[in-house]
Amino acid sequence: MHKIILAGENSLLIYFGDKIDPELPKNIANFANQLKNEFSELIINLTPSYTSLLVSYDLNKTSYPIFKSQVSTLLKQWTPAEVEQSFKVIHIPVYYGFEVGLDLERLLAEKALTLDEFIYIHTSQSYLVYAIGFSPVFAFLGEVDQQIQAPRLSTPRIKIPAGSVGIADRQTAIYPTDSSGGWNIIGRTMLDLSLKNPDNLDKFKTGDQVEFYPITRDEYLKYGGKL
Amino acid sequence: MSFKVIKPGFLTTIQDAGRFMHAIYGMSQSGVMDEHAFGWANHLLGNDYTDAVLEITFGGVELEALDEVVVCVCGADLDFKINAKIAPTWKSLQVQPTDILSWSLPKHGVRSYLAVQGGFKTQTLFGSRSVNLREHIGVKITQDCVLACAPSSGQLESFMAPQYRPNYHQNVVLRLLPSYQYSEFSDAQKTLFFGQTYTVSNANDRSGCRLKGVPIVFKRDKMISEAMSYGSVEIATDGLPIILLKDAPSIGGYTKIGTVFSLDLAQLAQQQPTAKVRFELMNIEQAQKERLAFNQFFGVLENSKPLKI
Repeated sequence: MHKIILAGENSLLIYFGDKIDPELPKNIANFANQLKNEFSELIINLTPSYTSLLVSYDLNKTSYPIFKSQVSTLLKQWTPAEVEQSFKVIHIPVYYGFEVGLDLERLLAEKALTLDEFIYIHTSQSYLVYAIGFSPVFAFLGEVDQQIQAPRLSTPRIKIPAGSVGIADRQTAIYPTDSSGGWNIIGRTMLDLSLKNPDNLDKFKTGDQVEFYPITRDEYLKYGGKL
Repeated sequence: MSFKVIKPGFLTTIQDAGRFMHAIYGMSQSGVMDEHAFGWANHLLGNDYTDAVLEITFGGVELEALDEVVVCVCGADLDFKINAKIAPTWKSLQVQPTDILSWSLPKHGVRSYLAVQGGFKTQTLFGSRSVNLREHIGVKITQDCVLACAPSSGQLESFMAPQYRPNYHQNVVLRLLPSYQYSEFSDAQKTLFFGQTYTVSNANDRSGCRLKGVPIVFKRDKMISEAMSYGSVEIATDGLPIILLKDAPSIGGYTKIGTVFSLDLAQLAQQQPTAKVRFELMNIEQAQKERLAFNQFFGVLENSKPLKI
């Protein structure tokens, strides 16, 4: 069941479960919407993640005990199944080549897979957006097939180029901008996911689905990909 | 336009009260590191609490005034001068065209705030003027760039009495709210955490402050990543605390022992590496009471309108 705990002087954290479950992101997104509608004057930030939702409120207008009890009441009345919400499917082209997939060659050796097999496994399923965080437009996607799961690098890279597609354990993700990070890099998309295009803010939402599809080196370059 | 940048300094960025309602898109809160000094700088000019200021870290900055403007510098003493003469801080000042404002070296504290009457009018990005370099939102100031601000509405004489000015040399006590996984730490671990004096390390920036000390041995099988609030204290794999600050990622996967009260983080923001800090417990009633008093004094969020998400 739900649990509400203190998270800071103006924040509380609601747990919707204690393990990762594909149903949770949709439910959490749904409840976040309800909260926003119900308490639009009080809420100053909402951060959904795998099993929880952080709610920050304006303590000029309410206090922890009062707000906690209001949230608790709303949780009791709320039935996620009844409220329909639309979630989209996002298609991401990826060039899976050794020159951009910095860890690809090593992973193929470790997993005893051919490149085609690896690509097939990564692209043949749809991934759920479990959370957005780490940096803007960075979507945590799951779950990666067991055959290509790989732990984070023991030493993170200082710079991973924008568009890089990575794997960390059961998760996969795309780095929207150049950044440091410890995920295994398997390919790169030429899509600009940076905030230079402000529409990208809304590109991924928790509960959406992401599907990757392979493109050739020529296609990647033709549509603006950089090596 | 109002100031031309002659020397940009080590880390000089425009900041305001922060970026709210955007954590859902993965954005940090951002905003000023020392809310107390920021609050005073705006307050002494009759500005709104949310007006954007220049946050100057460690100094190395030189600006040329292009217009007549009323300014106020609060926070660290970075050897602030006007036309090479020592100038007062925590006080409103009128500057004239061609005046050179400079900050050279930290003498007392680390971060200095330059507020201008009406606030800096840089581009608003996602509901805030705060620059976040980690997130590629906005940029540092650079040589020859011009910092725009509103025309000043007139001279005023206001200052903070010297006896109220903060002493940044004092050792810092960080009051901690027992939040997140606090109850999962054993009594022995809590005794070790609250009983020791930690040292601020070199790994200390706008995203987080890593502390050095005796490690806490804490093992948890699985921690599912969750949202981190401003001031939450992660216990990293090495058993040492990381205090999450304004530019911290919105989500993380380490266990958190609690959350530091925001106004104590303002003091932490003025500490150099090797400064000593310790933690003590605080309850939520006291924290909300103190923060509410601060908010009411400075008019925090009074004018804020909830943003659409």
